[in-house]
Amino acid sequence: MATYKIQIDDEVRDATPAEAAVIDAQRAEAEAQAEAAEARAAARQAVLDRLGLTEQEAQLLLGS
Amino acid sequence: MGVPSGYTSAQVVQAVPTGINSALVLISSTTIGNAVSSVTVSNAFSSTYDAYQIVVSGGSASTANTLNMTFGSTTTGYYFFRVFSVYSSGTQSVNNGNNTTSFDVGLGSTHTLNANCFVINPNLAKRTVFQNWRINADSGAVGGFVNGFEDSNTQHTAFTITASTGTFTGGTIRVYGYANS
Repeated sequence: MATYKIQIDDEVRDATPAEAAVIDAQRAEAEAQAEAAEARAAARQAVLDRLGLTEQEAQLLLGS
Repeated sequence: MGVPSGYTSAQVVQAVPTGINSALVLISSTTIGNAVSSVTVSNAFSSTYDAYQIVVSGGSASTANTLNMTFGSTTTGYYFFRVFSVYSSGTQSVNNGNNTTSFDVGLGSTHTLNANCFVINPNLAKRTVFQNWRINADSGAVGGFVNGFEDSNTQHTAFTITASTGTFTGGTIRVYGYANS
């Protein structure tokens, strides 16, 4: 488990194992969300490539 | 400030009359320490106010990251939608959080930290609802916003902002309360 320095109001200290676990969980979730967003962007780009459209042209067509 | 028309300088009001209250009241100001992964503000919410503004300014992140927020000790049940656009290309993204461990309240970069979150009901036995912008102050990045809620009736007094990666250094977290009347 990673070690973290955390701040509670004006006190800075090392995170307890339980506190570090919460941070680890949040970071893992954020990473998974970022990977999912990248996968969606890649899939969108693949469709645009097949259609021969630029991102701007797709936005004009779809209004998004 | 200039002297209002019809007044001399000696007549400018220097005190607020009894019964006239500020609509927005500074509750707390927390200076972020050096290279911390998270910051908790313990006594942010109370029964005095129903609605709050949380502003993070200044400081910097060790690397581009997201400022993830949780209320109290609640680390599940956040639901939100997120919209943002890439400054350089206009490429847009709409996505969501479905029962997540936190929500993104702002973004950090090596230039600055920033967040501006409007929160309703955190200390009421109601769902806590939030709305905030999501602005990365870097020309190659994105800007957008996040709206959502925390799915419990827990009465929160505190919140925590955690770096999605890396750390925060410096900057200030200010909490304001909107007067109920």
